[in-house]
Amino acid sequence: MLGCFSVVAVWAQGPRTERAGPHTTNQAKLYEQSRPAMGTEFKIYLYAEQDEQAEAWFGAAFAEIERLDETLSNYKPESELSRINRLAGHQMVTTDPEMYALLQTCIEYSRRSGGTFDITVGPLMRAWGFFRGQGKYPAPWQLDKAREKVGWQKVQLDPAGRTVHFAVDGMELDLGGIGKGYAVDRVIRQLRMAGVKAAMVDAGSSTLYAIGAPPGKKGWLVGVPKPGDRSQTISTVLLKDESLSTSGSYEKFFQLNGRTYCHIMDPRTGAPVEGMLQATVIGVDGMTTEALSKPMFVMGTEQGAKYLGNFPGVSGLWVAGAIDKQQEVEWNWPGCAGECGETLEGSRERKLRTQ
Amino acid sequence: MSEMDRRKFMGSAAGAVAGALLVAGCKERAKVAVPAGGAVRLAVIGPGSRGQELMRTFLRVPGVRFTGLCDVYEPRFAEARDITRENTPIFHDYRELLAAKDVDAVVVATPLSFHAEHVVAALESGRHVYGEKSMAMTVDGCDQIVEAVKRTGKNYQVGVQYHYATWYQDTLRRIREGRIGKITHVYAEWHRNHNWRRPVPDPNDQKLERLINWRMYKEYSLGLMAELGSHHISFANEIFGGMPESVVGSGGVDYWKDGRETYDNVQVVYRYPAGETLFFSAITSNAHEGAQIRVYGTEGTAVLTEGDAVLFSEAKRLKASPVTKVLIDHGIMTGASYLAEMPYRGKGESIPVPDDVEGNANYLACESFIRSIVNHQKPEADEREGWAEAVAVILGNQAIEEGKRLYFRDYIRKPVGAHSDSL
Repeated sequence: MLGCFSVVAVWAQGPRTERAGPHTTNQAKLYEQSRPAMGTEFKIYLYAEQDEQAEAWFGAAFAEIERLDETLSNYKPESELSRINRLAGHQMVTTDPEMYALLQTCIEYSRRSGGTFDITVGPLMRAWGFFRGQGKYPAPWQLDKAREKVGWQKVQLDPAGRTVHFAVDGMELDLGGIGKGYAVDRVIRQLRMAGVKAAMVDAGSSTLYAIGAPPGKKGWLVGVPKPGDRSQTISTVLLKDESLSTSGSYEKFFQLNGRTYCHIMDPRTGAPVEGMLQATVIGVDGMTTEALSKPMFVMGTEQGAKYLGNFPGVSGLWVAGAIDKQQEVEWNWPGCAGECGETLEGSRERKLRTQ
Repeated sequence: MSEMDRRKFMGSAAGAVAGALLVAGCKERAKVAVPAGGAVRLAVIGPGSRGQELMRTFLRVPGVRFTGLCDVYEPRFAEARDITRENTPIFHDYRELLAAKDVDAVVVATPLSFHAEHVVAALESGRHVYGEKSMAMTVDGCDQIVEAVKRTGKNYQVGVQYHYATWYQDTLRRIREGRIGKITHVYAEWHRNHNWRRPVPDPNDQKLERLINWRMYKEYSLGLMAELGSHHISFANEIFGGMPESVVGSGGVDYWKDGRETYDNVQVVYRYPAGETLFFSAITSNAHEGAQIRVYGTEGTAVLTEGDAVLFSEAKRLKASPVTKVLIDHGIMTGASYLAEMPYRGKGESIPVPDDVEGNANYLACESFIRSIVNHQKPEADEREGWAEAVAVILGNQAIEEGKRLYFRDYIRKPVGAHSDSL
């Protein structure tokens, strides 16, 4: 799974509560519910007029998240993704239209990003010891063996039969770099269709989407934390009908001979990305932002900014360097520029280079 | 949705309509054939929550396409088309769907009270049927389905998907080989900590509430017994090689007092002809046990869950052996007793799930149904298995309602297949 790091999400006022939040209007009250899914915690904040209405919306939303967790998980042996991983190395596997479309989208992101987004990096993660551990430097033969099983070009999709086939047996797909964004989009669509006017869907704080704005506000306040110190916020933005995703490297890494190796791989080199701490992107939907945040991180600031330029309506914020020497770089980044009305505690003035 | 609409879809299939279908079905049957190349065209009646899950799963089977969607709740069409990703034809009346030419088999995933009507009509129209469990809501309805299968020669598969799980079948094989001795008891639970409700877009709309949460209302459902118990009962029937002969039960609406009518907890005890026992419990206020089956044999225990199975051995029964004279000469030492009350079970022996097995129990059940059509074979979980499972569900629920032991022989006119021997 590619690394994702927390973004501090808040709404306009007050602390969080399980049911009715303190922020109410004449009719609508703010509600919150959270459940574990996809290896993290999904939280939904929404405005509803009645408890029963909020419960119904939460119920439908979390049922969809749970369904996608059961489908896209590479940990659960009974999931559709696990079935594909088990079989596609030695046969063509027919899958359902939703899964097929999602895989097509992934391959398209891989192609467009020059392979910096790649759902086949699992063997590399294992070789570097990041699958369920803190990491280790792999032996050259381990790396060579892993590289043989990595590469989006080795995933063969045939639309005629909706089949998936791996050119090399032993390959595996990991949708950790896009699945949460896809789930967020599905839930957002469902909430909109149900008539929800203001909501925030938070997938483990690495991907967030805001529907509308809290009553009387211009948007939902979202803070981007300083890498290594979540008590400090490097930027505060107002999110409204758009998504924000963040990838970060500073929670899972190891150091060797003065170098820091994080758990986010550059699929092109087969090695962890160095010199990058965090990449945050704002865009039109969850799948887009989640799928862009990793290439941003891997490509770095200059290449990454060029890449973002291919996607309308997106903006990015990088934190490069080392934990003790951070450099912030932005591209089309909105910030609040005083419009937020309120800023998060710990927020500070940024010195940014704007393209 | 008006009551009139509901009737149109769910309706009572009055004699005239049923007769017309019979005639139409006979004509249609000759035209309906599985296309060459193994492609199978499916239609679904009732693409709600479970119906949609079945659709996704069927679409993972090579060559399957959905060519018809039937429901009375309009939003279901968009949801189902989102699954097929094409403009699959829609029908508001199941009879119109069954009149369509390009349908080889029908998936029936409507509320339980409509199973018999929809399954029989689909069979009579010349289609194979995958019918969600439980088979039907009444013994008479079950009999009607069995008769329709016999009359039409079409396949009927009941949706007890765990029948197809490799770890269930593997465990069953080992049990039949005597691996855990003589089986005397099966204890099965399906415990959840959830209100078992489905979200209703407008909580104030009572008609919508009944349509979406039909599992809560006795008019449409046998509640937990049918929706959860049917899986475990079906497996116990396979283990004991027949169906129960009597049942007692307990249950009530005791925790979720939210207007529901079907029980929020049930406990039933079935007795089988050779003195074996099945205990089944479903509760909705604690999920500690989850969904599992424990099969108790004289030489071991099999524990099955939704994803695996483990066998445990009983402690060996030692045979009497001669004692040396040393014991008599030196006596027996006294001391505190430390024998643990709970026996050590060990890690047990996991039933392996082969790496090359295609997916979960749902997939295996759907794939098997398609294969049975393409290969002109009878499904494994056919109408006989469905009948035995459903009759046990019906009488289990009735035993709870009436608060007394019910004997199956008093309620069954015509035992089906292998189960005729067990009554």
